[in-house]
Amino acid sequence: MANYHPTPEMLTDFSAGNLQLSHALCVSVHTQHCNECRINLQRLNSIATTLFDELEPASLPERLKDSVFSQLDNEYVEDQLPVKINTTSIPKALQQFVADSYESLSWKKVSSAIQSAHLCTDVNGSKVSLMRIKAGGKIPMHTHTGKEYTLLLEGSFSDENGLYNEGDFLVRDERHKHRPVVSKDRGCVCLAVTDAPIKLTGVFTRLINPLLRRGHFSY
Amino acid sequence: MVNTRLNLNKERNTRLKGLMARIAEHRDKEAFEEFFNHFAPLLRSYSLAREPGATLLADELAQEVLIKVWNKAHTYKPELAAVTTWVFTLARNSRIDHLRRSGRFSTEIDPTDLFENIEDEGPDPFQMAQRQRIEKRVHDGLRQLPIEQSQILAKVYLEGKSHQEAANELELPLGTVKSRVRLALQKLELFLKR
Repeated sequence: MANYHPTPEMLTDFSAGNLQLSHALCVSVHTQHCNECRINLQRLNSIATTLFDELEPASLPERLKDSVFSQLDNEYVEDQLPVKINTTSIPKALQQFVADSYESLSWKKVSSAIQSAHLCTDVNGSKVSLMRIKAGGKIPMHTHTGKEYTLLLEGSFSDENGLYNEGDFLVRDERHKHRPVVSKDRGCVCLAVTDAPIKLTGVFTRLINPLLRRGHFSY
Repeated sequence: MVNTRLNLNKERNTRLKGLMARIAEHRDKEAFEEFFNHFAPLLRSYSLAREPGATLLADELAQEVLIKVWNKAHTYKPELAAVTTWVFTLARNSRIDHLRRSGRFSTEIDPTDLFENIEDEGPDPFQMAQRQRIEKRVHDGLRQLPIEQSQILAKVYLEGKSHQEAANELELPLGTVKSRVRLALQKLELFLKR
């Protein structure tokens, strides 16, 4: 059961189709863990429906009907692939990037405890990646130079503000400075969307900031 | 007054469901024509709300959605959503596809799976009965919202503005826009209580 959810505004933008797709990806994966947000989204659709229903109908060019009717007898090819039996625990929205297991991705080492795998880049430059952190792994004290959206896929971690479990949806920005620690019994996997690189704030680890920046822009 | 409208609305939904069944089962073009006459003007209007003046784009969206309705009629599940809700989601997805084609949305992320897993999930019978009650409540509640709240919802849902864009356009602080949306959602009693 997730305890940290997207804001109502974010759900509203999602249901309206306004959310940039990397953020929509996080919301969608969250709803697979969170029945409550899924129901809320279905309910938000009824706002959309009512507003849509009450639009002032626009005039129709005559040719539109002809054009549509002339295409009805075209053979229709189902654009969907045959339904795969879902044998994995990968959320449906992520399966376009992760075929069968997180193992199969090309992981890059970030530190002794952390690995990351790049999935894609959004139009505004946001990086979408998976992070894998060892059991008991500590992430050095850091802050964010832009917004970071994190969706916890497996395992749990905690920081100064709380304990996070599977399905939890977190947004961090430059106001947050934190030092997350992964629980000791198992490692964790997160989906992360970062608008800009994180910035380490510890005295010693600050030295590797240029490397992190390079990592962010190297794809 | 409210009651007549409610009944009209219910009647129309029953009528539309009937048309959908005839389209899906009998490939009935007469039923489809009635469906077309009802939805094509709304779909054009939906597209024009986001991009005023772009009439060709509006035609394209209406055409794309209506042909999808014809081809995918068998996938519509009347127990899950009102016909208009289903058509809205097709229109929204078509808008997203357009945004991807024009480079405003990422082409590296396929949106299909992001939305399907939410809308296709079958609710239990209790939730289904509740869903119809909620559709009514929202329908009536929207009319009673103060204009400054419903105006923002229309910007978000029809004009496709983010909260930030709505704030810029109305020359309001982002916080004000957000709190108006939250107030509206509260009044509609839309969200499950946490």
